[in-house]
Amino acid sequence: MSRSRRWSPRLAVLAASAAIVFAACGGSTATTTPSTAPESSAPTTAPESMAPYEAMVYPASGEAPCGQTDAPDANHSAYTGNFKKISATDEKTVVFELCNPDVAFLSKIAFTSFAINDTAWLESKIDPAGTTNQAIVNEVNGTGPYKLEAWNRGSDVTMARNDAYWGNQAKTEKLIFRWSTEAAQRLVELQSGTVDGIDNVGPTDFPTVEGDAALALKPRAGLNIFYVGMNNTYAPFDNDMVRQAIAMGIDRQRLVDNFYPPGSEVATHFTPCAIPNGCAGDAWYEFDAAAAKQMLADAGFPDGFTTKIQYRDVVRSYLPDPNVVAQDIQAQLKANLNITADIEVQESGTFLDNADAGKLEGIHLLGWGADYPDVTNFLDFHFGSGSSLQFGDKWDDITSALAAGGAGTDDAAREPSYVTANNAIKTHVPMIPIAHGGSAVAYRADVTDAHSSPLGNEYFAVMTPGDRSQFVWMQNAEPPGLYCADESDGEALRVCEQMTESLYSYEVAGTAAEPALAEKCEPNTELTVWTCTLRSGVTFHDGAALDANDVVLTYAVQWDADHPLHKGRDGSFTYFPGLFSGFLNPPPPAPEG
Amino acid sequence: MSHAEPSMDATVDILAEKAGSSSLRRDTIRNVLRQRSAVVGLTIMSILFLVAVFAPLIAPYEPNTSMLDLGEPGSRGDPPCIHLFGCPEDEPQHLMGLDSNIRDEFSRVVHGSRVSLQIGFLTVSFAIVVGTIIGAIAGYAGGASDNVLMRMMDVVLSFPSLILAIAIVTVLGTGLTNAMLAIGIVSIPIYARVMRASVLSVRETDFVTASRALGESSRGILTRRILPNSLTPLIVQGTLGIGGAILEVAALSFVGLGAQPPTAEWGFMIASDRNLFFSAPHLIIFPGIAITLSVLAFNLIGDGLRDALDPRLNR
Repeated sequence: MSRSRRWSPRLAVLAASAAIVFAACGGSTATTTPSTAPESSAPTTAPESMAPYEAMVYPASGEAPCGQTDAPDANHSAYTGNFKKISATDEKTVVFELCNPDVAFLSKIAFTSFAINDTAWLESKIDPAGTTNQAIVNEVNGTGPYKLEAWNRGSDVTMARNDAYWGNQAKTEKLIFRWSTEAAQRLVELQSGTVDGIDNVGPTDFPTVEGDAALALKPRAGLNIFYVGMNNTYAPFDNDMVRQAIAMGIDRQRLVDNFYPPGSEVATHFTPCAIPNGCAGDAWYEFDAAAAKQMLADAGFPDGFTTKIQYRDVVRSYLPDPNVVAQDIQAQLKANLNITADIEVQESGTFLDNADAGKLEGIHLLGWGADYPDVTNFLDFHFGSGSSLQFGDKWDDITSALAAGGAGTDDAAREPSYVTANNAIKTHVPMIPIAHGGSAVAYRADVTDAHSSPLGNEYFAVMTPGDRSQFVWMQNAEPPGLYCADESDGEALRVCEQMTESLYSYEVAGTAAEPALAEKCEPNTELTVWTCTLRSGVTFHDGAALDANDVVLTYAVQWDADHPLHKGRDGSFTYFPGLFSGFLNPPPPAPEG
Repeated sequence: MSHAEPSMDATVDILAEKAGSSSLRRDTIRNVLRQRSAVVGLTIMSILFLVAVFAPLIAPYEPNTSMLDLGEPGSRGDPPCIHLFGCPEDEPQHLMGLDSNIRDEFSRVVHGSRVSLQIGFLTVSFAIVVGTIIGAIAGYAGGASDNVLMRMMDVVLSFPSLILAIAIVTVLGTGLTNAMLAIGIVSIPIYARVMRASVLSVRETDFVTASRALGESSRGILTRRILPNSLTPLIVQGTLGIGGAILEVAALSFVGLGAQPPTAEWGFMIASDRNLFFSAPHLIIFPGIAITLSVLAFNLIGDGLRDALDPRLNR
């Protein structure tokens, strides 16, 4: 709990009892009460610093079973995660103990999904008896430069400046997020001055923006990947040769040359080459329609087959025009492989949920933008032991190579593991990497400190929109929810990034991780224990003070699939296992079919 | 009495002919042709029909074939290239430019006429058939049957047609066939009401009374006497309805519930290229003009027919 307390011995007993009951009921949080009780002569309104701190430790039973190979019981899978233990050693210190070294730890904890929430807030806004769509999905109580004023569903998210912000105050009093899936509409709104900045300028609109003196184009580096995914639990994609044939049967150069904006490139690997070890291993298959058709015939489908192309009609940096790209892939599949693919467009949130749940039975179009510049962000999230069911059953040679790579302590030492992983991905073809899409954001020319972020997390607190008192940003779509621990959509993450903060953050318009709510996080020599010291004087929007227990509980509710507060919008918490290899108490695999 | 039946039919036929007009068809055609707007409508419709029938001959390319597959130059949203108007001879001619997927827009618009005319006629035919049956039964039977059937029609009419169509497509699944079915279903009440009104009027005429007096069965009276003489307003309404059906299915396709890619349907074509509105407006304008012309044609013809068949407007 982080609200300021008034201390008394009686209250100490009550608090200790409550903590024990809480731990016993939920099995979630242990507390270590300091042995030194306050002197009876101590003032009942002692300063907060003198109060004994009930530090949380997670898990309560000691530590997570690292390296578990067999499922402990019928209700759980084996633990594959990399977290061993999280402890609040005092009010301002949190210790993360890991099973294996993690060289990208700081970059990972800087990610938006790990923004710190107040303990009382989590407990009050998540109903342990509830299921999905918890109250916390609609409200935000962060520590960031803006606080949520209103989320008008279907219209906008309005934020007001947080005057109690610990860092530099936001330059503008109000920040408003609007959205439109139409690139043309976004451009019209910018040209007419009703918005100050837009995301994803349409591929054919670059010259229009560049030629308009009232606008400023800010190209964004292609730290992303657009891919064609297949799930190996559905026929005919359960056949390696079918997936390999499709990999060879799609002319990716044609897609990039004709449907992507300047700055885009054909993907040779899943991870962009700008990221260390991203392009380790062999380059992807060359386009060869004849060989692809022969391979499909050898796989038992000489006349092709019928399937679906499933996607969401949402523009992203990696996919600037989904419908057009989908139609060209549809045409190529027909022309090159005689595969008849019906196009099926799904609502964005539903599509992502279906992907995570492994429910997309056809070919699906999806992509990924970098959250932090490390290969684990691309490969581990999608193909690691903690990844979702998007591509079906996992391949041991991929997961083991990724585990080895993630445990490496420097890029050169990690390279052989990523060579193995990328080559195994090429062999198994869970997806076909198509393009690293160049994109751009645009602002009105009078916006100062306007920037684009290679991670897609433009930070509006530093921007000044001329002499206007509010900054209006128009992105591609409405956020599905605002509890970003349980979101994976960039449209939600960018909103959260204006209001919430993690222990570390990414530099503005850059990728380097730098201290945020933590003044520092220091590892031991093996990179298996990270000790983070929290910044003083940080308060949440509701006035509660930040402390180490907030950090422990924020992580615990995501980490432990059995935690009573492990609930959000849909409860998938996709990022945590994706980045840290797995949930504690992971649920058993879904039954076949 | 075996000789009585032919005699009865002949008598009723004479009465029926007198009740209508012996030269109705001739007068109608003459009246329609007297109206310039109807002539314009008929001309446009004729051209549309010819384009639809001869689409494979008129269109220079297959509607779904990308220039990339043919190895021809071009990029998405290229403007029209017409040799007659100065486009270099060494460049392939594209009368309406290239679309987002680098397909010949003119070929797609031409083939789109087939889809749109099929949509219009099939949708309206379905609605007319079902609406006629419901309206005829309601009007002729009267009483409780009339009440039940027409209240059901009122319920359907109480919803905005496009919203109801969207709901139906959501249940049935997206696709052109389901979109047509949905638009057909929401159109049924219009034809049922028109038919019922006609039946109520015609069933009181002398030749129907005569048929009834001569012992003809209800089904016979309905199908042989009343229906043929009640079709005029249905024809007018149906003609007007074709334009509406084309427009509504285009709207459903625009929002992704009708024609699915890569079908060359005008509404879908506009939706597909809407993001090129500023860089390639011709991709919106040409299918838009096609929709406008086809709807206009059927509306003009419908108006002309209505005027021509309305005895009060006879000059």
